This record gives sequence, C-alpha cells and structure tokens, in this order.
Amino acid sequence: MIFASALGEDLARALLQGMPPGAVYALIAIGFVLAYKTSGVFNLAFGAQAYVSAALYFQARQEWDWGILPALLVSVFLLAPALGLILERLIFRHLRTSSSVAKLVVAIGLTVAIPSLFDVVVGFSPVAGQTPTGIIPGGANVFYQPFGVYAFSRDELMAMGLAVVAMLGLAALFRFSAIGLQMRAVVESPRMTELNGIQADRVSAFSWALSSVFAGLAGVLIAPRFNTLAAPDFFNLVVVAIAAAAVGRLMSLPRALAGGLGLGVFIALANTFLPAWAEAHPILAPIQENVAPAVPFLVLFALLVLWPAVRTTKEQADPLSGVDPPPPSLASRERSSGLTVATRVFAVVFFLTVGFVVFTRADVNWLFLITQSVILSTIFLSITVITGLAGQISLCQGTFAAIGGFTVFQLSDRYGTSALVAALIGAVVASACGALLSLPIRRLGGVWVAIATLAFAFFFDAVMVKLPWVGGGGTSLLQGTRVPRPTIGPWDLGDDKAFLVLALVVFVITSLAVIQIREGTIGRTLRALRGSELASQSIGISPARSRVLAFALSGFIAGIGGAMLSMQQENVNYTLNFSPFAALFWLVLVVSLGSRTVEGAAQAGAAYALFEAIVLRGAVFGWILRSADRIPGIFPISPKWRFIIFGLGTIQFARHPEGLVEFNTRRAHRRTEALLARLRRPGAAPPPEPDVPEAKEVVP
Amino acid sequence: MTPILETRGISKSYAGIGALRDVALQVGEGERVGLIGPNGAGKTTLFNCILGLLVPNAGSVWLAGDNITSLPVHQRARRGIGRSFQRIELFTESTVREHLLIAERVRRGNGSLWKDLLGRGRPTADELRSCDVVLARLGLAELADEPIEQLSLGQGRLVEVGRALMTQPRVLLLDEPSSGLDRQETADLAATLRELQEEQGFAILLVEHDVEFVAAFTQRCYVLDFGSLIAEGLTAEVLERSIVRESYLGTPEGPDT
Repeated sequence: MIFASALGEDLARALLQGMPPGAVYALIAIGFVLAYKTSGVFNLAFGAQAYVSAALYFQARQEWDWGILPALLVSVFLLAPALGLILERLIFRHLRTSSSVAKLVVAIGLTVAIPSLFDVVVGFSPVAGQTPTGIIPGGANVFYQPFGVYAFSRDELMAMGLAVVAMLGLAALFRFSAIGLQMRAVVESPRMTELNGIQADRVSAFSWALSSVFAGLAGVLIAPRFNTLAAPDFFNLVVVAIAAAAVGRLMSLPRALAGGLGLGVFIALANTFLPAWAEAHPILAPIQENVAPAVPFLVLFALLVLWPAVRTTKEQADPLSGVDPPPPSLASRERSSGLTVATRVFAVVFFLTVGFVVFTRADVNWLFLITQSVILSTIFLSITVITGLAGQISLCQGTFAAIGGFTVFQLSDRYGTSALVAALIGAVVASACGALLSLPIRRLGGVWVAIATLAFAFFFDAVMVKLPWVGGGGTSLLQGTRVPRPTIGPWDLGDDKAFLVLALVVFVITSLAVIQIREGTIGRTLRALRGSELASQSIGISPARSRVLAFALSGFIAGIGGAMLSMQQENVNYTLNFSPFAALFWLVLVVSLGSRTVEGAAQAGAAYALFEAIVLRGAVFGWILRSADRIPGIFPISPKWRFIIFGLGTIQFARHPEGLVEFNTRRAHRRTEALLARLRRPGAAPPPEPDVPEAKEVVP
Repeated sequence: MTPILETRGISKSYAGIGALRDVALQVGEGERVGLIGPNGAGKTTLFNCILGLLVPNAGSVWLAGDNITSLPVHQRARRGIGRSFQRIELFTESTVREHLLIAERVRRGNGSLWKDLLGRGRPTADELRSCDVVLARLGLAELADEPIEQLSLGQGRLVEVGRALMTQPRVLLLDEPSSGLDRQETADLAATLRELQEEQGFAILLVEHDVEFVAAFTQRCYVLDFGSLIAEGLTAEVLERSIVRESYLGTPEGPDT
C-alpha cells in the first residue's frame, strides 16, 4: 500500500514536472506544423529562429539593461515575425514549386547561417554558463505547489499559461477570422485558392510570421533551461519538436500540442523511474545515465519506422513542381575532347605547383590545414555518394565518420592494433552501421530519411558516445580519445608531410572508386532510382537493395575519412569534428559547391579547412601585397562568415542541384567552346547559347 | 494451355469500400488483351495488383503458372512483367540509350560492386548492340544520344516501350498509352507495338480509354464496372453488347464518359 502510494506520487510528480517543458515543445511543434502546412517547408531552421529571439532577449536584458517587457516585445513580437517574413519573402516563396528535399536542404543551410549572421550583426557571443532569466520577475525562485507533489516555478507556470493562450488564440483564429479560413484553404491547395481571388502569397507570409512568433516565444521560454545560450542546443530542440509534430503527422495542430506535452511527460517519467530501476538492477545503470536525453530521438525514430501513417503522410507538393526543368547532366560529359585535355593538363600543372609549394615551403600550420582539407574531401565523397548519386539527404555522415575514428581509438588503445588496419576495420564497421540503419528506413520518402538519419545521429551523440566501448567513458574525458599515427614499414607517418602523402593517396583512391561507381552499374541504377522509383522497379531494380548499398558505401567512405581525421589530429575530438550540428555544415558545404562530382567534394574540403585561413584571415591579400604586415585592417573577418556564406549558398540548390562548381564549369565550357568556334571560323556567327535558366538571385 | 498472366478472384477494398470484387482475368501467350471500363471502375487498382504495387485483400496473381502474389514489384519485373506508364516515367539526366542500357544491364544481372570498382561497369559492346537493335526497331536510333528532356510525349512513350522491351517481358502491361497523343501518334504507336508483339511473341494487356484503339488493337477484352467484370470475350463482340455500351459508352443521347 505504501509502495503503491509512493508510486502514485512519483507518477504524479513526473506528470507535473513534464508539463512545462512539454508546453514549450508543443509551442515549437505547433509553429513548425503551421509553417509546414501552409508552405510545405520542412523548416529545420526553426531552431535557429528560436535561437535568434532568445539571444536577442538575452542581449537586451543583460548587455543593454532593457526591461523585461521591451526586450520581450522586440525579440519575440518584432524580430521573430520579421525574420519569418524575410525568409518567406526572399527565399521560400521562390521555392514553392521545388521538391520537398530541395526545401529541406535550404532550411538546413539557413540553420547554419542564421545564428552566425545574428551573432555577427548584433555582436553577440555566448557567455559560458549564462542564459537569460525568464520573462517574469523572480521566475526561477518563486514556487507554487498546487497539488502538493511538485513545486512549479513561476517560469514554468508562465510557459504553460502561454502555451494554453497561444493554442486558444490559434484555434479562435482558424475558426472565426477571415485570414484563418484563407489559411485553411491555402493548406488544401495554394493554386486553387489563388484562382478564387485570394493572394496565397500574403496568406503564406502571414502564417510564416505567426509561426515564427511561436519559435521566438518558445526560444525565450526554454532558454533558462540551458547551461549556455548556444545554437546547437536550439537545433536539438527543433528535433524534439519534430518528434512532437510527427505525432500529429505534421498536419494536426491539436495533436502536435498533445505530442509536445506527451514528450515532456515521457521524458520526466524516464528521468523519474529509470534511476530507481537502475538502483535495483545494476545492469541498467549505464542505460539509465544515457537513455533519458535520447528519449525524443528514440521516439522520433520509432515513430518513423513503426508507424506507417507517418511514412505515408502525403508530401506537401505543388502539382506544378513536375514541370520544372530537371537538372542537366554533368558538365564533364558535355564538353568537347579538346577541352577535356586542356582541363586535365591545367589540373595537373596546378596541383603539381601547389604540391611543390606545400611540400617545400609550408609550415606546420599550413600543412595541418592542407592535410585536413584533403581528409575532409575524402569524407565529403561519402556525401557525393549518398546525396549526389543516390539523391538522399543523410544527416548522420558525421556519425559514420565518428565510428571510424572511435574504432581506431578503441582498437589501438585496447589491442595495440596497427592504426591503418584499425582504420579499415573502422570503415567496415561504419559501413555495416550504414547498411543496418538504412534497412528500417528504406521505405521512407526523401525528407523522412533526412529526419531519421538526424534522429540516429542525435541518438549516437546522446548515448553511444558516452559508452566506454565507444567514446571511452570517463578516462577519455580526462586524457582525450588518443589515436596514434600509423607506420608503414620504414615510414613513420608521424611526420606531417608523410601523413599528407597518405591522405592524398587515400583521397585519390576514394575519388577513383567514386567515379567508377558513378559511371558503372551502381551509379546508373541509383540515377534511375533518382529519376523514377516506379519505373526503376518496373525494369527489375530493387530500390531497397540499392539504397542499402548506397548507405553502406557512403558509411565506408565516411568511416575511412573519420579514421584519417582522428589519426591526423591524434585524437577523435568528437564534439569538434563529428557532432550532429558540426556535420550539418558538411552537408551544407558539399551541396553548396557540388554534390555530384569529385571536384565538388574536393572544393568543399578546401573550403572547410582553408577558407578561413586564406580569405577570412586575409592571407590571400597578404600574399598579393607581398607582406603579411600589410593585410588591410578589416582582417581578420569573423570565422562565422564561413557559415553565413555557405549556408546561404544552399539557396541555389533548388534551382541548381548540381552545385555552384558544376554550374560555373558548365557555363565556362560553353563560353570557351563558343569562343573557340568563333576563332576557328572567323566571320561565322557564334552558336546561340542554349537556354539554361540562369541562377536566380534570391538573396540580395 | 497455361495462360501467361492470370488473376484469380482478386478483391481489393479501400477502407471498406470495394474497389475490386472477385476479378478473374487471363492473358494467353502472345495474345493482345484489352481491359476497359469507365472511370473509377477499378482498372488501375487491378493493374497495380498485377504489378505488385497493391496487395489484394483476396485472390492471387499467376505468371506462367507461378503464384507471384507475394513477390515485390521488381521481382515480378524480372520474371517477365513489363509495363508503360500513363504519366510517362523516365529517368531524368539520362539519354535515350541510357534508359535501355540500364534495363539491359539489370536483366543480365552482371553488375556488381567489384566490377564497378575495377572499371568494368561501363556498358559492353554487346549491351550497346542489343540496345541499338531495339532503338532502331522503334525508330529512335536518331535520338539515341538525346537527353530525355528533349523528347516529345510520343517519343517518350516509345522510350518507355523500348525500356520495357529490354527486360524481355513475357507480358507487357500498357497503361493508357494513347493519353496525351494525337490520332496519328496513337496509330503509329499501335502499329509499332503490334509489329513488335507479333515478332517477339510477348503478350499485351492494355488498359485504355480510347475505344477505337482497343477495337483495332486487341483480340479479346474484359470490361470492368464498379469493380466487377461485366463482360469478356472477343473485342468486336464485347463492344457490341448492350450492357457494355450502357455502362461504358453511354447511350447515344446520354453523357459521354
């Protein structure tokens, strides 16, 4: 009896405890669903929008000494909707007929770009251990205990109250107002609504602004729960919200509310009961410590895999999306043979020169950066395979790379395995993980694959990394996850130049393999699947098998790259290199520069490691001016500009999925060939430029 | 003689509403069979059950005497069910020849990761030759290296047929091949298909709205209405029957479907 009442009390406490965070999850989920319903954008940048409002609120309160009310008004009710309007107006409105995957990629780019842009513009930098206080005086210190089992802080009551008010307001809006009715109509069919004389654009802009208010509000409300105000935490938050929204199949607002509250309670329950069970059964102890933070990701993954209703949610797509011109074939296939030879000669000369300079003149720092760029190019080839060839967005490439790195660490640490052998084993393990992961999600559509891989990445991040046999547990926190440099016979690759040679060899072999695969049966099969899954099946291609193969290959490449990166840094450096948020930037870079070609991956690798050193720190100007002392005063530019530039670079993905490199290569080929033709036949009219749609400038 | 394609007692319902009721249909070897019926009669549902895109609630699908009801789509394709699409489904970023090449490669099943990695995954002379034969047969030889985006709808349909032929089907399912084509194009397509079919001996199951096309092209036909077969037999006779005319063609005064 006593036991039962204790249990009941625990249950009640967990229930109440879960409500306030649940209310915030619900707010985000509702905002997310609102934007998705009215514009079909799977807005991963929602977390970034929440971050911006929270950061401005923090800045205004702490740095500028504003009162609560003005800070709240400006950050939530002014900045948030303004940001939403800008995104809708400048970007997503123009992507209406793009595929949902293209919109997702743009949203991922914005996730990377927006927080950095805000930081640079406002001059905000997160202070460790400091977050804003709530939006009510004494919010964290005054408690109320309405049911006698759990004491709510004022902040928590405020969060719940606001969630209720927002929900009621939204319900009233949909039910009683003209704009609500129009929003419901736009959800059904934007084109049809326009034919009835309603400006779908205006309705869509309104719902973006409204949904952004939800993001901002949730950001300000949740911020006190974090240790430090940092963008990655807010990105986690949006994944939690997606889990909540998935409960309502991304369509139902009341269910998204229920999903958010349910998730909050579920997490609280796990936090309440798991420790007690773990005390009784020591076997559960390691699980207890790690599972609770991973609950939302497990729930999301389980929902995606086990609940067919989510999978079959009709993708919001404009019926006119099919008429957009498909992406052109690779530029290298179209160019004339003379140009091919010229390109190759130039490439050889260029790389020999760079190589000569690097091996004779470069100091330790430059060698480090160049080696890093070569290794990252190798890792990025895994994105070339999964995104460029198979057309799938995977957000767990960092995890595959981390698996490679951790395997080398574990094998060499425990068994003294030779690092190179361990790297190969790591690649095989990563490949197996890729194949295993792809099995349950093989039926999911494009956007859902991205979300499922993201859930996997977060699960690995929250649980696996902390296990002793993966990330090394407690000891590695003290001494790092140390990885040795390999030796091959007489060569000690502890020498940086020798290691660069190894990195180059690995990159060249991987590139050749990727090119062979692209031109071979697998590449053709994947291209067919990307073109039409239905038609591919009708000629006997198994989509599931091809996808599993693509994931396995991609995992292998990422694994070998991750192992190389860990060997180079002689440490796995998980948080810095491979965490889900860090790896988002990989995808952004590769997609921005070109996900279809080896050149794209190589340039993305160079951009990742060298862009800051060469451009942002002004090295290139120093070189032009022949003295490092004469670098103009505007340098060094904040390294955050990397995220902004390449993040915004994804916007062109919708129109040019082949990436900037391919687009410009094609244009250069065409111009060169036109020029050559004119030179060969003086007087003859130049051939007309084929009408390829030019890149439309979306961002001024 | 065993029919090449047979459905036995296929029933399918969506949320309790019957779309197909106990449909039995047979296509003999080398036969041209039509499947007609008004909109919503269940033609597409039946088609999808045969292809494996839908699982029937009851009944079975047989191919050359084998029960294929539980096989996935791509395995049915490998066993000899080829198809074309009502809304053409082509592979973007590929040329006409590449469409046929990939089908040929899959049929031969001689691609593997190792072959790709060793650079032996590129099309062989043999494969190219067999593609060119079919391309020439369809009158697409001139367009072989054109990107697919440059083709007209009629040419696109021919590419679909060519791609399906590369799998060496035993039965070819054609889903409204005349939709979007004008009269002349339809007639040309029908002529080409008939020649190929008589030459190579595969069977054809045709779903079609254009009654003239069905009348001219098929030997036998089935008529579906409200999910049940209401008539079957020689095409010319079936089209004369009053029950068919009423349900499908409408009376001379009544609205046309």
